[in-house]
Amino acid sequence: MSEFIIETHDLVKKFGNFTAVNGLSLQVPVGSIYGFVGPNGAGKTTTMRILTTLTRPTSGGAFINGVSVLDDPRAVRRAIGYMPDEFGVYDDMRAWEYLDFFASCYDIPLAERKKLIDDLLALVDLSHRREDMVDKLSRGMKQRLSLARTLAHDPSVLILDEPASGLDPRARVEIRELLVELAKMGKTIFFSTHILADVSEICTHIGIVEAGQIIAQGSMDEMRAQLQPHREITVTVRDAEAAETVKRTVGGLTGVVNVVDLEAKGGRYRVRIDYTGDDDGVAALNASINNAGVSILGFTEETKDLEAMFMRVTKGIVT
Amino acid sequence: MQTIDARERGIAQAIAWLRRGLLTHVAVTLLVALLGLLAGFQSSPELLGMVRQSLMFNYSGAADAAALLLVLISLANISALLVLVVAIQAHESWVLPGNVLVILANLVLVVWLGCLTGLLTVVFGGLAVASMARVSGLLRSNPVMVRELRGRMRGARAFVVLTLYLALMGGFSLILYFIFGAVNAQNASSATGIIGRTLFTGVVGIQLLLIILIAPSFTAGAITGERERQTYDLVRTTLLSTPSFILGKLESSLAYILLLLLAAIPLQALAFLFGGIGQAELLLAFVILGVTALAFGAVGIYFSASQTRTLSASVRTYAVISIGAFGAPLIALFVLNLLLGSSLVSSGSDAAPLIETTLQYLRLLATSLNPFTTAIDTQALLVEQQVWGVYARTLASNGSTIPMISSWIPFTIVYVAAAAVLMVVTIRATRSNDHES
Ligand SMILES: Nc1ncnc2c1ncn2[C@@H]1O[C@H](COP(=O)(O)OP(=O)(O)OP(=O)(O)O)[C@@H](O)[C@H]1O
Ligand SMILES: [Mg+2]
Repeated sequence: MSEFIIETHDLVKKFGNFTAVNGLSLQVPVGSIYGFVGPNGAGKTTTMRILTTLTRPTSGGAFINGVSVLDDPRAVRRAIGYMPDEFGVYDDMRAWEYLDFFASCYDIPLAERKKLIDDLLALVDLSHRREDMVDKLSRGMKQRLSLARTLAHDPSVLILDEPASGLDPRARVEIRELLVELAKMGKTIFFSTHILADVSEICTHIGIVEAGQIIAQGSMDEMRAQLQPHREITVTVRDAEAAETVKRTVGGLTGVVNVVDLEAKGGRYRVRIDYTGDDDGVAALNASINNAGVSILGFTEETKDLEAMFMRVTKGIVT
Repeated sequence: MQTIDARERGIAQAIAWLRRGLLTHVAVTLLVALLGLLAGFQSSPELLGMVRQSLMFNYSGAADAAALLLVLISLANISALLVLVVAIQAHESWVLPGNVLVILANLVLVVWLGCLTGLLTVVFGGLAVASMARVSGLLRSNPVMVRELRGRMRGARAFVVLTLYLALMGGFSLILYFIFGAVNAQNASSATGIIGRTLFTGVVGIQLLLIILIAPSFTAGAITGERERQTYDLVRTTLLSTPSFILGKLESSLAYILLLLLAAIPLQALAFLFGGIGQAELLLAFVILGVTALAFGAVGIYFSASQTRTLSASVRTYAVISIGAFGAPLIALFVLNLLLGSSLVSSGSDAAPLIETTLQYLRLLATSLNPFTTAIDTQALLVEQQVWGVYARTLASNGSTIPMISSWIPFTIVYVAAAAVLMVVTIRATRSNDHES
């Protein structure tokens, strides 16, 4: 078995003349939290529906655990837990009955189901809602219940289509924490989202898709490095003279690409250093400024936020 | 714990045995029917006598009746085996007892009538049971059925519906009682028998009407409803198999209808107080009602699986039922009755008996395609001749007799087989639909 639990090769899906997925290849490593981002209509949902055996690809291959979704859909279904972007709940069931139904659909024997349901409800913090009718639950609770449902058969991969859409900030954070917890339990999580803050907060890997193609993918660190040619360090000092000293000191050091004066803010002078070195180099920079006798008020590395990265790579192709 | 593969293999084996049994019965049907035709055309009754000697050696009736019975027994076996094949794919818990029941019924036929073809089912069914018995954890209650019944039986709604239904039926019986009581009051003292029969017929008629309205509407929304509620994808990504899903939908609707039928039995039995009907009537009425619900429910399921909206599924279901079970057979009956009364039969020509025989059997078939005509015919036969099975019918053209059968038997065979075939087709179509999307 390969190290990638989800893999697609040149996946293509056409609806009539329209190509929704256009040669998409992605790799999701075992145990990762993989954020699948891209503009509306990029083909995220379509890709997920192929991976969950609900849609047949026009061409290309899709594999879960090395098993092709076309060759053995049952094995694939056993391995995945799927939460669609839009889903309904049965209006005539209690929370525990909802889970009981899906557990029985996964052939879990009656004797094991009661404990399983209790555990699942506790995991998603809905134990106190056990007897409530499902359609009376709030949207956030329904989402959490649905997440519990995807876990009924202890799958190794969760495929979640916009699990946090339509939720208030608190509910969103709760889902996010739940995902991290599930990843700690050893599950691989592959989820699509539009909320980049979620991605930068919890993802270990990210894939950016546009017009049915992956345009960038990799671990968060790789992606940052790839999208940002250098690190940007901002040094804040007391006066213009100190700023000059900083510029002079670091100017000749290896790895320093550029040094720029930033606009003074609140009477404080700021210098931005574009640097290509590693963490040790950053520490050395800091030390050398100190050694030059400058008292540093602030020494921060700007992590370019994901929003900017997203805007830079996606060209805004309208599909 | 057995692996899933071992389980699937056991099931596949059982299905293979049942299928072999099914095919041999098809062969028997064709063979006996062919011999019957041959005997008819060459007017050599000794051919059928041979058939009775070898395959129905304990049967004391006429040779041609024996041949008819043989064909019917094989047809009934085909229906039963088809149902078992569908049910075993869905891992239904009643498959094993159902299979044993079918075997026992055939054993009875073997011992009672000396019907050797019953042994085919005994052997192949037995092998299927053996294959199933080796599979552990095969049988379980259908998840979809459990879910649906839980929802349907919840709270006041189910209770209210049941109460309303019984109140309606009770009210209707009372009205019938008063009308016919008044009409017959001045007549003979034996009127109570007529009252009893009228009450019973009225209640069964109303039930049949209700079932024809309810059963398709329950099932026509069963699968489209999942699509409209956006729960279809959730269920389809689980390990629940297509047969389990489809059959669970049908069963949950039928289970509720069965409850309604059982609840009304006391009302039907009220007719016992007045006399005029027997247990046979009660039992056969129940069979006809149940079989109607099964077949019409299956039509609903078929369209529910192939359509995206409940409305279009319902429209198509009712259209097919009104044409297939009402329009076509009733028109056919009308035409056949005209022909039977025409000079074609009464001309006294040489061909007349053969034509009349053919028309009579076609009339039997047309009668058994509609639940109302089936019920009326079955009831009339019971009342007039106390016959629920085979009887001899005298031909108008030459006074000889041909074997006939109470129409509830072909009705049951045809409707059950149709339901099973519809389920097979639905399962196939659902699988390939899901694959195409
Ligand atoms: N069944 C279908 N028939 C025709 N076109 C479809 C079908 N499903 C999806 N599409 C089209 O394929 C394209 C990709 O859709 P998809 O839902 O995969 O995008 P997405 O990335 O999930 O978008 P969003 O972020 O809005 O959820 C869209 O233009 C959509 O209209
Ligand atoms: Mg989407």
